[in-house]
Amino acid sequence: MATVSFQQASRIYPKAERPAVDALDLDIADGEFLVLVGPSGCGKSTSLRMLAGLEEVDSGSVLIGNRDVTDSPPKERDIAMVFQNYALYPHMTVGENMGFALKLAGVKRSEIATRVAEAAKILDLSDYLERRPKALSGGQRQRVAMGRAIVRSPQVFLMDEPLSNLDAKLRVQTRTQIAALVERLGTTTVYVTHDQVEAMTMGDRVAVLKDGVLQQCDTPGSLYDRPANVFVAGFIGSPAMNLVTGAAVDGGVRIGGAVLPVPRDQLARASASNGEVTIGFRPEAMTLVGEGQGLPVLVNVVEQLGSDAYLYTKLAGESTDDVLHPSDVVVRTEPRTAAAAGQKLWLGVREGDLHVFDAKTSQRVD
Amino acid sequence: MTIALPGTETTAVQPVDRPVERKGGAKGGKSGKAGPVTYTLLTLTALVSIFPLYWTLVAGSHTNAEIAATPPPFLPNASLFDNFKLALEQAPIGKAILNSILVAGSITVGTVLFCTLAGFAFAKLQFRGKGLLLALVIGTMMVPTQLSVIPLFMMIADLQWVNQLQAVILPTLVSAFGVFFMRQFLISALPNELLEAGRVDGASTFRIFWSIVVPVARPAMAVLAMLTFLTAWNEFFWPLIALTTANPTVQVALAGLGSGYVPQRSVIMAGTLLGTLPVLIVFTILGKQIVGGIMQGAVKG
Repeated sequence: MATVSFQQASRIYPKAERPAVDALDLDIADGEFLVLVGPSGCGKSTSLRMLAGLEEVDSGSVLIGNRDVTDSPPKERDIAMVFQNYALYPHMTVGENMGFALKLAGVKRSEIATRVAEAAKILDLSDYLERRPKALSGGQRQRVAMGRAIVRSPQVFLMDEPLSNLDAKLRVQTRTQIAALVERLGTTTVYVTHDQVEAMTMGDRVAVLKDGVLQQCDTPGSLYDRPANVFVAGFIGSPAMNLVTGAAVDGGVRIGGAVLPVPRDQLARASASNGEVTIGFRPEAMTLVGEGQGLPVLVNVVEQLGSDAYLYTKLAGESTDDVLHPSDVVVRTEPRTAAAAGQKLWLGVREGDLHVFDAKTSQRVD
Repeated sequence: MTIALPGTETTAVQPVDRPVERKGGAKGGKSGKAGPVTYTLLTLTALVSIFPLYWTLVAGSHTNAEIAATPPPFLPNASLFDNFKLALEQAPIGKAILNSILVAGSITVGTVLFCTLAGFAFAKLQFRGKGLLLALVIGTMMVPTQLSVIPLFMMIADLQWVNQLQAVILPTLVSAFGVFFMRQFLISALPNELLEAGRVDGASTFRIFWSIVVPVARPAMAVLAMLTFLTAWNEFFWPLIALTTANPTVQVALAGLGSGYVPQRSVIMAGTLLGTLPVLIVFTILGKQIVGGIMQGAVKG
């Protein structure tokens, strides 16, 4: 178990226009479960591989437990990795797969057998130790990949989208199992995913990346309640936060013909760059207000989920003909009393649930 | 209110019992079972392929006169062994077979080993000059062997290896075709993540080669071994030059068989049959490996 630290770590692929990972600064505490999340191509897998030693670090450094490992090969870093495609050795049995690293390290055969049996017990693989990977299901292979990592008792676990190849139901089930397992072992874990739900449910802290740059690293709750910029605001949460941009006027922001009230000091800071402000409000933070009082919208599509209903609305004055953009504002309401398509509504935002961003810099101002 | 995600309620997945219906017969024509026409064609092809070998057996068990008669004989008989004796008297076939086994065996082992090593390096490792080296290797395939005979013989003579088996083994120990073949196989059959997992587990590059690459490459190695053995066994031109009749390989020895005003075809055929036996054995042993290997490699996982 150890801390992990990225210090201005960068990776630039030859002939690339911009760095794959741009001066990443990240400190991970001992025993912490940190999730790296972001859209495809944001540099999260590259960062993980830099930590593993599978990717060169062009500038900056990577530390594991205060030891600079930037130039060390993977085997000297005391890490274990779970790959997206499991990467199990096809010609070895489950037991041999899990014991391979120990065999390479020269551990005694009896001890290898003990440790493999222990890990197999934790992961419910004891009956499969003599099977080859091709005789296992996807979920079982996933567990073998995890077992291979656990058996080594490393300082850091690295996981590169381990759930991506599982079907949806199995993914949800395995997600909790991984979280419980890592909690029990107490090992520092760095986990990469593109799924923000996985990130929010599994991580002690979540680091959001975009285009190689770290956007925000915070607890899931803070990411949800106080996103640092427009990208994080729109990335975390499903359905995504409503983000609308309008000109700053006296008392608020002009959107769709109405003025949404914004506190004066926030308004001043947000509009400092170019007079435009981006407002964010989550679907569940909206209230229906009386006619003429809030933001006027026209209901376009209603999604009934049983426990909730989502209204996909267009701002008043916008045409509803554009099928590629069926909504400007998404509202969550009670399922039984949901409005119907074509209905006109007035929306207000609950006190304290308004997010204000500078339209030009995309940064939060409150 | 929390965000409700569809599918968060997990229940145990019940296995579904679906009766497997096998549709045999001629319905559709795409049911995968071969029809009588296919079987006939395949049988005919098999017969045509086996016939030369069978004829060698038949011709080897009769005399010259009997072979030339009409109709020619169609069944082998026991005088095969008389012809074997004649063949063994006329040329040192026994020693030649041993030599050939040694030579072809060494070439096969060496070629498969070195070509897999080189193929792996070209397929998966990064090093400076890789492209140039690969081009050079493939370029050697374009040089006809006959061109290299004179310089090679001069080298062998200087080393005083004339009439020694190493003169035949060493020049063909690595083949460009083999390198290229293994490279192409390994590029697609060996996922990069497998090698990375090996590195993270702490294996050196050679250990990765030995413990991970070789087992995965086994089907291709078997194919290459078979091809190489066959080529090495049938090699005639260079052994003829580098070796004498005192220390021949099978093909060289067979060339000296049945000489006379009228070539004794029956003896030649008997000798040829003797010379083909080891290859047939190799085919029988390695053939199963190849089929199994192809099946294994076909399924991703």
